[in-house]
Amino acid sequence: MTERVPVRENVLKENDRVAAGLRAAFGGRGIFCVNLISSPGAGKTSILEGTLEALRGSSVRAAVLTGDIQTERDADRLRRHGFPALQITTGGTCHLDAAMVRRALDSLPLDGIDVLFIENVGNLVCPASYDLGEDVKVVVLSVTEGDDKPLKYPGIFRRAGLMLLHKMDLLPHARFDPAAAVADARRVQPDLEVVETSCYGAPGLGAWIAWVQRRLEAKRAAEPHAQP
Amino acid sequence: MVPSVRCPLFQGIHELSIAESIADSVRQHAALRGGRRVRRIGVRVGDTSGVNAEALDFCFAIVVRGTDLEGAALDLERVPVRFRCEACGHEFEPAEFDPRCPACGVERGRLSGGDELSLAYLELDDEEPGRPGETTG
Ligand SMILES: Nc1nc2c(ncn2[C@@H]2O[C@H](COP(=O)(O)OP(=O)(O)O)[C@@H](O)[C@H]2O)c(=O)[nH]1
Ligand SMILES: [Mg+2]
Ligand SMILES: [Zn+2]
Repeated sequence: MTERVPVRENVLKENDRVAAGLRAAFGGRGIFCVNLISSPGAGKTSILEGTLEALRGSSVRAAVLTGDIQTERDADRLRRHGFPALQITTGGTCHLDAAMVRRALDSLPLDGIDVLFIENVGNLVCPASYDLGEDVKVVVLSVTEGDDKPLKYPGIFRRAGLMLLHKMDLLPHARFDPAAAVADARRVQPDLEVVETSCYGAPGLGAWIAWVQRRLEAKRAAEPHAQP
Repeated sequence: MVPSVRCPLFQGIHELSIAESIADSVRQHAALRGGRRVRRIGVRVGDTSGVNAEALDFCFAIVVRGTDLEGAALDLERVPVRFRCEACGHEFEPAEFDPRCPACGVERGRLSGGDELSLAYLELDDEEPGRPGETTG
């Protein structure tokens, strides 16, 4: 005979526990943390390079953790812009999890950081499930990927707070309807914010960088005891 | 229509991590209950959880092969996307996340179900296990 025991718990509760610890560590230092997610080649590293370059002249101190299955290439690119960047190679795993981030932070001291960017492994499915202790998941959808992606990959759009509609410079060449992409994404996540970006030409990265700075200030205002 | 969700890089790798998490949790719960043998594991998989049930089933069998959980059945229950109408409170299963409420016609459906990925129940043998080896097979 068998007995049925009800359980009712999140399958990823161990990841969530580690992520809660990371969130507390970021919160205690007033660090605003962004988890950047997209399919491979959408432009995450390029966006971060432009962002770091822009922040170089400001008072905001940034750092980057970048996830990749195999190589160190993204960290090499990112380190040229004046801020610390650390590669997390997952060795085959198609997403970052909270434990990988915690281990990486052994080599990346959090003191003196205002904004921590985490570039997730290029993948629109798996990274959505894993909380990394971030303040917000930002999904990058480039216009060359097709405006049907929000409903094909609802999980990530559902969990994102901001969508960057990226490579807008290519819009004239891509059959991509930004209004349709935004409408579909908001079917899945009505509160989703949207910013249009390009690394090569208008509209640039200014609106996105201003968004990051606003969110950092809002976090600092909400947690005034955090050390600057 | 339910959008199909698959790992675009290596089909199944993501579900492999999920299967390992399930096996870990199940072992913890079974240990708390005298280490009784686990016969069945109920898991709820939401349509927007990003987890493919077939791939998870396949990966779970790989993860528990040759372990104390080998042979335990995985009972995967799909949890469909659900919307709740903010205008009239009606709950419905939308087609392709269409927010139009079938009851009142207003386009104010908000997601209220389908996100979860949870361990729902375990079925355990009533008897505590005997000597090692006795309960396998
Ligand atoms: N035209 C155009 N190309 C871009 C833009 N941003 C990135 N790219 C290109 O897209 C490719 C992939 O970029 P990368 O930053 O490596 O993407 P990741 O895989 O998401 O990190 C590179 O060839 C970039 O030069 C953009 O705004 N416009
Ligand atoms: Mg990259
Ligand atoms: Zn209604």
